[in-house]
Amino acid sequence: MTTSPAFAANPTVAVDSVSKWFGQKVAVSDVSCSFGPGITGILGPNGAGKTTLLRMLSGLLVPSEGSIAIEGDSPRADTDVYRRFGLVPEESAVYGFLTARAFVEAAAVLSGMSDPRAAAERAIETVNLSASAEREIGEFSKGMRQRIKVAAALVHDPDILVLDEPLNGTDPVQRAQLIDTFRRLGAEGRTLIVSSHVLAEVERLADRVLAMVDGKLAAAGSVEAIRAAMSDIPFKVRVEVDDPRRLGAALMAADYVRSVTIEDGRVHLESLDLSALGHDLPRLTVDLGIRLTAVEPEDESLESVFRYLVRRR
Amino acid sequence: MKAFLLIVRLTVRQLLGGKRIWALGALAALPAVVMFFGGRDRTAEDAFEFFHEAPLATMFLVVLPIIPLILGAAALGDERRQHTLSFIALRPLPRWNIVVAKLTGAWVASFAVTGSGSLLLAVALGTSGGGWGPTLPVVLGAAISTLAYAALFIVLGYLFERAVIFGLAYIFLWEAVFTSSAPGLAPASLGRIGLSAYAALVDGAPRLLADPLGSLAPGAGGAILKTAFLAALVVAGLSRLFVKRDLV
Repeated sequence: MTTSPAFAANPTVAVDSVSKWFGQKVAVSDVSCSFGPGITGILGPNGAGKTTLLRMLSGLLVPSEGSIAIEGDSPRADTDVYRRFGLVPEESAVYGFLTARAFVEAAAVLSGMSDPRAAAERAIETVNLSASAEREIGEFSKGMRQRIKVAAALVHDPDILVLDEPLNGTDPVQRAQLIDTFRRLGAEGRTLIVSSHVLAEVERLADRVLAMVDGKLAAAGSVEAIRAAMSDIPFKVRVEVDDPRRLGAALMAADYVRSVTIEDGRVHLESLDLSALGHDLPRLTVDLGIRLTAVEPEDESLESVFRYLVRRR
Repeated sequence: MKAFLLIVRLTVRQLLGGKRIWALGALAALPAVVMFFGGRDRTAEDAFEFFHEAPLATMFLVVLPIIPLILGAAALGDERRQHTLSFIALRPLPRWNIVVAKLTGAWVASFAVTGSGSLLLAVALGTSGGGWGPTLPVVLGAAISTLAYAALFIVLGYLFERAVIFGLAYIFLWEAVFTSSAPGLAPASLGRIGLSAYAALVDGAPRLLADPLGSLAPGAGGAILKTAFLAALVVAGLSRLFVKRDLV
């Protein structure tokens, strides 16, 4: 038994050396990990392979190599798996002509629930959409569609729930409500696998994080461990001043500055401590009598952070 | 059974809900319009003979293939493209059950249009004095051909994004050119399968339809069996594809 942070202690979903390619494009490359009770976040920039991995977990895509097991069964071979499995896909994936109630009730019927109406009622209440239950989904905002998809995925009370970017398009209030719902479901001992490209979302949600970049597993562990791995990433900052050479020379002496270059009349620097830079820079420019006009991050995107993590492996 | 009926209902609503239904409805009415205007001022015998020329040919070789092409290809194709297939497929249901329900939905939706069109055509024949005898046979023939085409095109729609283009090529090359010009190929024409059922049930029709039927002998039972076999083949093949191929 492996002790790698990519593997859960009591796995319900196991991913074994899974790869997926579409023609020449490799979407997921040799990923092995597992998921257990609680919330696991899959974090990564757009195009990292999160959706492809989740679609393979759900049985929507066939792995090109490797295997996936849900409580020991393959989702491709045994459709009974779906009695204990729910998916909230990233795409709209709703029938716009149905009312919210009819949509969730349809999910209950398809899942073989004995009382679909009552099950739909409960699920709609869980996502706080009871007041809009008789409206057609075609009239819904993106956030409401997200919530009704969550209700449809929850209607048969699954043990395992896969959610692909479930907070996309939701407003802050809806987001907080959904996060509370997911946390409650995770605390009940269900396995929740939630993907996101927003670190802050995953941080609020997940007990454990798998970070993906370029189809590979880049890092795994607790949110704290992932944050620690990211804390020594040098941030690139662009500074606009009326005398870049003097400021560049002064910044070279600071211990939190890793490198300084002057290009296009601007100072480009790499710093390991953004807060120290933010504290010192205004004072330094005043001391030097230099006029500071702009300070901008050059690569603050999550993608650059994750590429850095991959390079470190 | 509840799940099966639900998928059929969803499919029918999905297929008949858009604006395309008006265009398809107009197409389905075309043979009746041809019969109505072409059948005026004719004797009963003349009207009956005329019915077996342009109107019936338009129905069986143009209307009956095109409507199931548009709706059959959309039955699974639209679900894949609009990402709703996961809503149906990721359920504790046997794959064949889902495929049979989708095919049934595609057939019901298509036949709602083609059946209405064929009924209208029979009414046009009846009101022109050509007799009401062909009414039920033409509707039955339409039902058979619609199912055969829906079964073929549901597979195309699942496999190819350009299913309609491939389907049109099939209709206009295979059905209209090859099987029309080579009488020996007529049994391999899905449109003619329904026509053979019609011909078996209407007195005088086999003689009038000798050219389009080619080497295909009139027979309703055989037509139903062939279509049922094709539908079963499609269900088995698609169920296997559901397991072996990506669903999105």
